[in-house]
Amino acid sequence: MSNYFYVSPEQLIKDRAEFAQKGIARGRSIVASLYDRGVVMVAENPSASLNKVSEIYDRIAFAGAGKYNEYDRLREAGVRWADSMGFTYAREDVDARALANYYAQHLGDLFTEGQKPLEVEVLVAQLGGDLRPTKLFRILYEGTIADEPRFSVIGGDAETIRERFAQAVPEVADLATTLRQAVAALAGPDRTIPISDLEVGVLEDRGARRTFARLEPDRIAELLGEG
Amino acid sequence: MGLPLFRPTQDPGPSFLGLTEALGVAPEWGPTTSDVPHATTVIAVRYVQGVVMAGDRQATGAYIASRDVKKIGAADRFTALAISGSAARGVELLKFAQLSFEHYEKMTSTALSLEGKANYLSPIIQRNNLSSPLPVLPLLAGYDPTQRAGRIFEYDGAGGCYERYDFATIGSGSPFAEGALRLGFRADLDLEAGLELAALALYEAGDNDPSTGGPDFVRGIFPMMVVLDAAGFRELAGDDVGERFRRINERRAESRGVAGGALR
Repeated sequence: MSNYFYVSPEQLIKDRAEFAQKGIARGRSIVASLYDRGVVMVAENPSASLNKVSEIYDRIAFAGAGKYNEYDRLREAGVRWADSMGFTYAREDVDARALANYYAQHLGDLFTEGQKPLEVEVLVAQLGGDLRPTKLFRILYEGTIADEPRFSVIGGDAETIRERFAQAVPEVADLATTLRQAVAALAGPDRTIPISDLEVGVLEDRGARRTFARLEPDRIAELLGEG
Repeated sequence: MGLPLFRPTQDPGPSFLGLTEALGVAPEWGPTTSDVPHATTVIAVRYVQGVVMAGDRQATGAYIASRDVKKIGAADRFTALAISGSAARGVELLKFAQLSFEHYEKMTSTALSLEGKANYLSPIIQRNNLSSPLPVLPLLAGYDPTQRAGRIFEYDGAGGCYERYDFATIGSGSPFAEGALRLGFRADLDLEAGLELAALALYEAGDNDPSTGGPDFVRGIFPMMVVLDAAGFRELAGDDVGERFRRINERRAESRGVAGGALR
């Protein structure tokens, strides 16, 4: 005969939240911010092939912090969802808000019903256009979704990094300034992040349908060197 | 549509065809019976730095259904897909191929090889053509960055995929275009010579085949011409194409409709 011990819902939620937070804290953080011509996502990532920042659709990008296998699965589901939506309806009907809501529902469901909550936080960025505004959606491990006006930070040390970045970049700036301050905010006062450990993706209109681009190390160095 | 999450054992991977099947939104490639417009002549010719393509603009059913169809599409930056056969199935195949190649690239962070793209289409064509009275026969051409050369792949009715090292034609005007290409092709064609030959071959097809549209000087609608090289896919401007066909037309008017013993 097995014994079931009573655990109060408060305690259960608290334990799960602690578990997820601990997992997320082990990963590195990501800063996403609007700049004068688009959206930039900056991650500290020593791996050149296991990406934290990726393309979802023509004007939508994804960033994940925490456990790689868990957020990469969400990224794949996002690409699949977006491509199937665009295939069934039209490319302009693919909306980041709908995707962010699905992520929130999925994370929320797993947090309360799953064997264990996902140890991830994800960001969905949308570059505005004629139809939709530029948006940053931040979705936490328990399904909380926030629509952040100018910049967003996910990952272990998010609060500290958020304060540093908010002070350094009080309003929307150009790409070089935004990138430099994002890297400084991620690093903190006592260390510098080598360029090889930076992963940077942007959403910017360059006349093509697809607006996502990864910045190569040379381009990152050039931008960080400016001013 | 909800978030498409799969167990690792049932995951469709980066194949968009696999994904649409798993989600139950795959296009129905089965038989239908209705009278539909047919697309007609498209040519691809290799030249030293890539491939040039030319395609007419007419869709023909029992009568001319459309005069400004674009039968060549950019499947991605370095790849073009041309369609012949049933217009509806062809357009669907083009859209499906574009999505599939981009889907693969986003899922895996690497672009599919040109040969991989050519092979991916085989079972789709096979399934369509062996079960449907509305066959499609596409032509895939592209610039292969690893080989630094243009490559052309053609298909037979059962989906077999064959690489062509000189030129390929699809559609009902093929025999006439092929004749001009056989006489005019050289392994050292440069871009200008390649475009000239492709335009001439298409002109021949339009001249002889009732369901291939020639240059339409009345409406200002001209065949579509495309270049694929190291810089990617680009379509020639309508004026440029119009000028090429005007020159051929003037030569033919001088000789009263015959090529005059030479490729001209």
